[in-house]
Amino acid sequence: MAASSNDKEDFPWWLAAVVLIGLYLGWQVVASELYLQILTTLTKGIKTTIFVTIVSFTLASLLGLLLALGAGSKWLVVRQVTRFYVEVVRGVPIIVLLLYVAFALAPALVELRNYLGDMIGLEPIRTRQFPLIWRAIIALMVAYSAFISEVFRAGLQAVEEGQIEAAKALGLNGWQQFRLVIFPQAIRTIMPPLGNDFVALVKDSSLVSVLGVLDVTQLGKVIAAGNFRYFETYNVVALIYLTMTISLSLALRRFERHLRDKETTE
Amino acid sequence: MKTIFTVAAAAVFGLASGALAADLPDLGGQEVVVATENAYPPLQFMDPKTGNAIGWEYDAMAEIAKRINITVVYENSSWDAMIPAVSEGQYDLGMTGITIREDRMEKVDFSDKYLTSQMRMIVAGDESRFDDAAGFAANSDFLAAAQPGTTPFYVTVYDILDGDEANPRIKLFENFGAAIQALRVGDVDLALSDSTAANGYVTASNGGLKIVGEPLGTEDFGFIFPKGSKLVPSINAAIASMEADGTLEALNTKWFLDYKLGQ
Repeated sequence: MAASSNDKEDFPWWLAAVVLIGLYLGWQVVASELYLQILTTLTKGIKTTIFVTIVSFTLASLLGLLLALGAGSKWLVVRQVTRFYVEVVRGVPIIVLLLYVAFALAPALVELRNYLGDMIGLEPIRTRQFPLIWRAIIALMVAYSAFISEVFRAGLQAVEEGQIEAAKALGLNGWQQFRLVIFPQAIRTIMPPLGNDFVALVKDSSLVSVLGVLDVTQLGKVIAAGNFRYFETYNVVALIYLTMTISLSLALRRFERHLRDKETTE
Repeated sequence: MKTIFTVAAAAVFGLASGALAADLPDLGGQEVVVATENAYPPLQFMDPKTGNAIGWEYDAMAEIAKRINITVVYENSSWDAMIPAVSEGQYDLGMTGITIREDRMEKVDFSDKYLTSQMRMIVAGDESRFDDAAGFAANSDFLAAAQPGTTPFYVTVYDILDGDEANPRIKLFENFGAAIQALRVGDVDLALSDSTAANGYVTASNGGLKIVGEPLGTEDFGFIFPKGSKLVPSINAAIASMEADGTLEALNTKWFLDYKLGQ
């Protein structure tokens, strides 16, 4: 934790530079009718981008936590299955996962749902009733759960053995050990890389545009195709993503500092 | 003059279509889910001023819907996903200037053609080394840009180059805008596009791009359907009646001549 004291003192020159560039671009946007038109239309995609990012990140974190616990399981089968999942998913490009989930897994899930539903007398549904935005969210969840599980695993393993022994000695049961002793310590190791994954997911959510989900990127693609102004459009797309990712980074830093301060005062 | 003719034609054909409409099937308001990408002006694109989806295909689909009594529901798709999604029945119909091609027929059913488009060669505004397809093909230093799986890609491979789809002289791009940017910065020397989009890019480039050579071959556009779709004969009947009474021609005039793209 010694290195971190440095970035408390550093004046954030990079941020000042970003703000200056942002002000310049912002002025461009306001001054130019074309930029303003693009921005107005693109804003419609921001909600979708944020929705896709938050939902898939939440689901990926839950699945990632389960996988991390699975990796530390006392059963060989569970450990090997988790390892298999993490290694395979981590090695497949997200765009390929998106197409697999959308056009192979989703129809299979619908078939399974209809097979099971048939037994309890439910009406069968069609594949099209499984919206593409949810297929995209599932694909991002699968992709990021593999990365996030590694983050959790590292954080959980970083908790000293003695802490767990002490918890046991106090007579805490398994869940209490995890909730009261292991997790509160692990979260400090987990937070920075987890936040990093969140910022990365804001950008990677742009891949859902291959399924036609109307996020900022897909709208940018559509706008550029209609106005033939490729650069202007993507400048605005970049500006929107930067605004989201940088404000998120700043919020995460604050939160990390908060965790650290809490640690030192405790 | 042209306007007068169009109005007169519409009046005459309007009567004719009333007679024809009696022969068209009535699908009783059946819901048809249509996939669009809105990235192919002037067939379907986002009006830069209002952000609404407009274009030739929207007008045509509205007219078809009226003639055979269907309710159209539009859903957004992307080009990459459209053929697989229609093929598996996610949508009832896909439209985005899809060229009728044998290999695609293995996946989806096509309607009859509703539009024919010509392929044009776009080059940098200051290009002076070649001015036709043969001139481009002759020099192995010249590179072309294309999107994989699109008609311009296949025309570049088979009509301009040597028929080798892995020919290193073709640089692949994810979308056409990126290909055009590569052309403008000199990474490639040629990009093909159908005449309408080509004109749009050239107009918007302020002299940065130009069109050279004769049109290269033609392509017929059709709507796509899941295999075995019962909609095909009805849509074909509507297309035939719109062809016969001049509705399609009037749409061509509206979107290809009167509407100014990129302005």
